[in-house]
Amino acid sequence: MADEVVKILDNRKVNEKYYKLSFCSHEIARGAQPGQFLHIQINPTLDPFWRRPFSFYRVDGDEIEILYEILGHGTAMLAQKQAGEVLKVMGPLGKPFRKAVKPKKRICVAGGVGLPPLLYLAECEDVDFFLIGAKSRSEVMPDSELEHIKGTVMYSTNDGSYGVKGYVTVLLEQILKEERPEDVFIQTCGPMVMMQAVRDLAEARYIKGEASVDETMACGLGVCLGCMVKTHAGWLPSCTEGPVFDFSQLQGSLICQT
Amino acid sequence: MSDVNLTTKIKGLTFRNPITVGSGTFGTKQDFLDYVDYERLGAMTTKTITRHPRTGNPMPRICETSAGMLNAIGLQNRGLEEFLKNKIPLFAKIKTPLIVNIAGEAAGDFQHLAEALHKEKDVVKALELNLSCPNVEEGGAGFMRKRERILEAVKVVRDATDLPIFAKLSPELGDVVEIARDVIDVGADGLTLINTLKGMAVDTERRCSRIANITGGLSGPAIKPVAVRYVYEVKQALGVPVIASGGIMTAQDAIEFLIVGADLLAVGTANFINPRATMEILDGISQYCRDHDITHIDELRGSFHHENQISG
Ligand SMILES: Cc1cc2nc3c(=O)[nH]c(=O)nc-3n(C[C@H](O)[C@H](O)[C@H](O)COP(=O)(O)OP(=O)(O)OC[C@H]3O[C@@H](n4cnc5c(N)ncnc54)[C@H](O)[C@@H]3O)c2cc1C
Ligand SMILES: Cc1cc2nc3c(=O)[nH]c(=O)nc-3n(C[C@H](O)[C@H](O)[C@H](O)COP(=O)(O)O)c2cc1C
Ligand code: FES
Repeated sequence: MADEVVKILDNRKVNEKYYKLSFCSHEIARGAQPGQFLHIQINPTLDPFWRRPFSFYRVDGDEIEILYEILGHGTAMLAQKQAGEVLKVMGPLGKPFRKAVKPKKRICVAGGVGLPPLLYLAECEDVDFFLIGAKSRSEVMPDSELEHIKGTVMYSTNDGSYGVKGYVTVLLEQILKEERPEDVFIQTCGPMVMMQAVRDLAEARYIKGEASVDETMACGLGVCLGCMVKTHAGWLPSCTEGPVFDFSQLQGSLICQT
Repeated sequence: MSDVNLTTKIKGLTFRNPITVGSGTFGTKQDFLDYVDYERLGAMTTKTITRHPRTGNPMPRICETSAGMLNAIGLQNRGLEEFLKNKIPLFAKIKTPLIVNIAGEAAGDFQHLAEALHKEKDVVKALELNLSCPNVEEGGAGFMRKRERILEAVKVVRDATDLPIFAKLSPELGDVVEIARDVIDVGADGLTLINTLKGMAVDTERRCSRIANITGGLSGPAIKPVAVRYVYEVKQALGVPVIASGGIMTAQDAIEFLIVGADLLAVGTANFINPRATMEILDGISQYCRDHDITHIDELRGSFHHENQISG
């Protein structure tokens, strides 16, 4: 793990929703695994005050890419950065997705800011089904960002402008009708509401899987105890004990944690 | 490494430098060890330990605010027994004085904790009493009751141990100088100023608090001027040892507190943004001393110049 000041190589818009930013770091790239994340200080002036967590999207040698969406103050500032400007980046942090799932079929279910880590997973490992939930056609990723996925890519959009109309769980239900529960393994990342729906579908069928949770983080190092997730072993910091958790670890709903 | 002498003495204790950490803001896991050499710190301060384990508050527990953050962690910790069993042996290996922060719901808890920690004097060098956590229900205790309970807690700890005692206070408790005087009168050796300030932030979409506990403790640069003020006032009025806490992000911040007289400097929220903050602040203080021909930190400490006051 390292915490380094890096120079931005490139920062550009991919589509209506996502931006892509790249930089080089030997120390951080070394050992990075899908599901792990970076903790980025966007400005040295403490505005935004905290760092922001972003998943590894692509790692090629020493070059690292993140894929991000403008959701607020920090990501809006990030999108303004030009090549040559610097960021302070710490990583790799957290526990990765499970790599070996064979002989089971791997189903990835992604939505929103949960897309990047699963696309990276699909670059490193075989995926049988890659399901993406989006609001509308304008959010659909260009083919160039998806061509490395070996399995079937399917989209759902809320307005039906691309792929199947409805939530991504509609796609998941379709697939699960064809597969035996013991033959599949689900890995999901996206809004908590989406992941909870995925988990509900899986658990009703005794299907195993993992969810990469999205909790607000301050330190990213397991110190502040602010990013907790309720597990059968008590509240655990998602930055160090996650962000990827096995479905069986999680206790109660992901949506309202009390 | 440093030509500047940063040695800080308080009540028979010698610290290699004035830098410690804010309770609950620092790690002992390997992740943190990658960035911090614990043996370069002046002192280590633990997260609050309570008599029994505490699971902490529901989520969300933290939120970012302008120049700071709110937290309502709720003193999540594994309790005294686990601390004695697992953490004391760990700290015993680090050659840095350990300050253990404790809290209780009643005087009996404080007494129990103090007695147990007194037996670990080889490792535990001082106690910090968290008398001011804003995130724990007080059972609706009124203001006077609260003050009585604080004094009672200090008294029982004093009776239980001769370890140096620092009472950690918050302006929420009322007139800080007055309470500081009272806690010193009943046996505290020094004060930690300040704990977080109770605050609140509203989610404008859901129209509810951004923290499940509704209110949380404000920390970070936003509270630094308040902390500087109280360290200054208490040092002027009482001259007793003070651990400064509140918004120390840089060496410049630390030096402000030193000038108004702080003995130790607790780096808190800064650790979340930069795990190396303590180390960088330490280097920055040495640099400032060199730049200002200061050979011993005591020449800087409490050097506030009233006669230099700009006042047109
Ligand atoms: C492990 C992990 C990995 C991640 N990976 C990625 C990734 O690869 N790509 C990516 O794009 N994102 C990722 N995220 C999410 C990313 O960290 C957040 O999108 C980012 O922190 C948002 O920062 P911001 O400053 O832009 O938004 P913030 O300003 O922090 O706001 C976040 C959201 O809260 C809302 N909000 C803020 N204040 C209020 C208020 N007072 N009332 C109502 N609403 C409010 C904002 O409108 C916004 O929707 C990841 C998160 C985690 C935990
Ligand atoms: C996440 C978090 C947890 C904290 N936990 C404790 C605690 O357990 N006990 C305590 O006495 N103070 C606790 N504090 C208060 C800090 O030790 C410190 O006094 C306060 O945050 C002000 O300093 P800062 O602005 O440098 O953070 C906590 C603060 C934060 C932000
Ligand atoms: S972000 Fe601080 S413990 Fe996870």
